[in-house]
Amino acid sequence: MLGFSNLSLSNFLFWATQKRWFLYTIIIGLVLLLFPHPTDLTRQGYIAIIILVTSLILIIKEPIPLPAIAIYMLIAQIYGGIDSADGIAKAFMNDAVFFIMGSLMLAVVIIRQGWDSRIALGILKVTGNKTSNIAFGFLFISAILASFIGEHTVAAIMLPIGMTLIKYTSSDISKVKNLSAVILFSIAYGCLIGSVGTPSGGGRNVIMLNYFNQAGITLSYFEWMVKIYPFVLIQLPIATWVIIKTFKPEYKILDSSVRKLVIKVARSRSMTGRNTLTVMIFFIIFIGWIFFSEVFGLGTIALTGVFLYILGGFVRWNDLSRHTHWGVIILFGATISLGTSIRSTGAALWLADQVIILFGSMMETFPFFSDLIVILITTSMANILSSSATVAVLGPITMNLVPDMLHIGLVTAVSSAFGYFTAVAAPACTIVYSSGMLKAKDFVKIGLRIGLLSIILLMVYVHTYWKIIN
Amino acid sequence: MKILIAIGSKQYSKPTLHLGMEVAEAFKAKTTIIDVGEKVSEFSSQLVELAKDQMESWDFDPPGVDVLEWAFNYLSDNNLIDSKQIETGFPKNRLIDDGEDRKLVYLSGTVCEDVNLILRNGDIIAELREEVQYGNYDVTIVGKSQKRNMSHDLLQYINSSILVVNQYDNEKFKRVLLPINNEDGSMKAAKYGIRVALAYDIGIDILTVSNDQKSINDENKQVDKIKKIIRRSGVEYVHEKEQGNTVEKVIEKAGDDKIIVMRSSDMSPLKRYFKGSIPLSIMNRCNVPILIVK
Repeated sequence: MLGFSNLSLSNFLFWATQKRWFLYTIIIGLVLLLFPHPTDLTRQGYIAIIILVTSLILIIKEPIPLPAIAIYMLIAQIYGGIDSADGIAKAFMNDAVFFIMGSLMLAVVIIRQGWDSRIALGILKVTGNKTSNIAFGFLFISAILASFIGEHTVAAIMLPIGMTLIKYTSSDISKVKNLSAVILFSIAYGCLIGSVGTPSGGGRNVIMLNYFNQAGITLSYFEWMVKIYPFVLIQLPIATWVIIKTFKPEYKILDSSVRKLVIKVARSRSMTGRNTLTVMIFFIIFIGWIFFSEVFGLGTIALTGVFLYILGGFVRWNDLSRHTHWGVIILFGATISLGTSIRSTGAALWLADQVIILFGSMMETFPFFSDLIVILITTSMANILSSSATVAVLGPITMNLVPDMLHIGLVTAVSSAFGYFTAVAAPACTIVYSSGMLKAKDFVKIGLRIGLLSIILLMVYVHTYWKIIN
Repeated sequence: MKILIAIGSKQYSKPTLHLGMEVAEAFKAKTTIIDVGEKVSEFSSQLVELAKDQMESWDFDPPGVDVLEWAFNYLSDNNLIDSKQIETGFPKNRLIDDGEDRKLVYLSGTVCEDVNLILRNGDIIAELREEVQYGNYDVTIVGKSQKRNMSHDLLQYINSSILVVNQYDNEKFKRVLLPINNEDGSMKAAKYGIRVALAYDIGIDILTVSNDQKSINDENKQVDKIKKIIRRSGVEYVHEKEQGNTVEKVIEKAGDDKIIVMRSSDMSPLKRYFKGSIPLSIMNRCNVPILIVK
């Protein structure tokens, strides 16, 4: 046909099949471009919304690599006349991107320091051998650690500990399906719950802080903790109870497996001076985040830690570079720049106005209704998209919904951690899923219960505790 | 001859591996057994790799290695690999990462040439297609999938002959059904059919289907040539001439105790993409193993 061989036609069809979502996205974008823009929205604002819609489809379906999506977001903004190349480049790199880069690199260093053995011993010493206590121990430790050092790092550290405990209980995984679910979901959900506790718990928190700064709102590391940390602590026993009730574990007591794990851990190599030094450097970073992040930024401090680790020879650059997903960093930079454009072109305000037009009367009658809408939209998006990308694109829009930007911004950041329903929603969920011990339907089964409870808890929390402390 | 056997789980892949190795033995083929694991979202891929490194430091194998180990044990139990390698056991610590997102184990075969085990991750069709292109395989052997477009995608995009293992039971495996016509590809299909018939010591049912009564008894040089080759190979055969719909007739004749060997469609890829093809319809509906020869 037209001089093309059957092989080249077949190759083309394969390409088109693999990239069909890219082709659909381009068609959707072109069709939207043909429509006239709304009269109360600038042409640039309209184009920013089209780029937002098409980028979201591309990120969710991944028909092309993430760095390619990032490049599309950047060049589309320039070709669309939203800003000059210099303007887009300025918004592309900021402290939030520094933080994401630093956090991914810190994970590489921390994971290799043998903290896992100490953590395992620590949990088992406190919890004993009762399954429900062990589940709470895993959830509690995961949450506390994730609130400071990032959920992905903690999930990677905790996963083998949990898997070893399961393996020692029974080598036949089909006989301990529920126990596996209890232990692994305690790790994943502990990481998710804890990740909002402090600004350094996740990239999304830093992105939101960045938007607060752009809006002239200041919120220190400690003030964030005062507002959010109690919510983390409240969720922990409730989440444990729901997990245990959902997946009734086959064994109520894990006597011999706990003993075997303790012996294995005791036999592992002891902490060296260098391991202790890495802990000390991390402690310095932590102190820096609490006391100096307002001056220097969380990202700068995280990168300082990375610098110290490289300088001290705790990690080789090749190792760091190989395990750092540069594509994700570029994508977050591009998403943040798009978020900035959505705000600067007035698109965020326009989108917020549309929500107000739809639900305005309900929002006036019931003051909590705007929170509920934001929580539902954010939770839905966070379950199909990355939570950081969700905050990056939704943050500028939700902050225009109500006059209290700080309140609604924090609600957005917290609810972006409700990625309980799918294995792809959050890195912690993907990591425990990669063990091969969980099924995708397990996430739906437990996610619906914990998700619903978390939404209700957050609604009650922001309208009681926040009112008291304000 | 090079054969690629795709397995997916210990639970469901035994018939595929069993028939695959029998075919490999029949063709004395260099064989690769491949497991394609689930695709990981690109967002978390690097972090999952980091977590897997951590799991390995606690003596946990990455997902998929257990499937390769199961395949290795199958080969060992049936003495299909070198005895020294059977004694050494599955070399999980010596999986070679070739930098192309593939983990490999090289083994020496006994009844066929070298046997390799490969672990890949990603979209099954894309990974199989890449592996077939990379290794120049002649036949890809897969189990029948419940996924709607799997058969279509296999026929459309994998550039090798395809053997779909469907409800395979070697006790019931009685004859080869060889639907042919006057087209060139029928000869290649016949040659494959003869090899299978010789390997299993069974006969061939040649089937020609015509649209109308008039053309049923027309002379057909290509069919005569195929019959001659089968006769010369010493394989017993029967030639059945039928009138009606090819798909219905082939499915009816295949019953549940034959293996179908037929040529692929010669339609252009575009037409096949939109209209489907006779081999695809048969593959989707039949209840026996089917080898589509490309």
